[in-house]
Amino acid sequence: MVHALREAHRVLKPNGILVDLRPAAVHRRVGVVCNGDYRQLGSMREKFDDDWAANRAVARILHEGLFKTDWRTQFDCRRVMDTVDEFRSWVDDFVRLGDLPSHDWLIEEVESALKASRGKTKIVARGPLVMRVLRKLDVGGQ
Amino acid sequence: MALIVDPEQNEIRALERVADWRGKRVIEIGCGNGRLTLRLAGLGARVHAIDPDEESIRAGREGLPRRFARHVSYHAGQAEGLAFRTTSFDLAVFAWSL
Repeated sequence: MVHALREAHRVLKPNGILVDLRPAAVHRRVGVVCNGDYRQLGSMREKFDDDWAANRAVARILHEGLFKTDWRTQFDCRRVMDTVDEFRSWVDDFVRLGDLPSHDWLIEEVESALKASRGKTKIVARGPLVMRVLRKLDVGGQ
Repeated sequence: MALIVDPEQNEIRALERVADWRGKRVIEIGCGNGRLTLRLAGLGARVHAIDPDEESIRAGREGLPRRFARHVSYHAGQAEGLAFRTTSFDLAVFAWSL
């Protein structure tokens, strides 16, 4: 990660901007919305090792004087799905890429909630995103 | 059937606050299949989008709307060795990729 950030510094023009946008290291909440009412069913069981490693990489390039922090913000981001199959596909990707334990229990919760619901029901996974805006500092005339 | 990411468009609103993207040369590192790439192009940026996964790059190219054809180019490559000139971009974006 540090190498990738150094490469970004290399290709950026003087005073260029680096945007680091990614999910906050908190567990996403999953629920259903029916007739405007949200009901939470559970939380994902993510691992945050990669997030902490990314934070360390950013801290390192700041320490090296390659960038300075301009500003930082955090905001909510939702994923809205219509069917259990869509939710299962999303969770399966999540589990595979993140080397996570099975989330079949959560898929079953969602499936039960959809069966029991009356009217149009949507599945919602939500969690905050963090955006850091860094400004390139010149090092050795580069 | 549909999976909608960020229906409130909070992500793009936050990005709008970063800069005036119109005409800016942007490198997006870890673009996946180009979901955010198209949003950046929609803000007027000229985006070079990089991802190590060739399948994602292929999907991005196939899903590139004609109106963005001159604003977006997809490249398979590694973040640690970018095949671009030094000091050639106004902005670099790591979106869900660090």
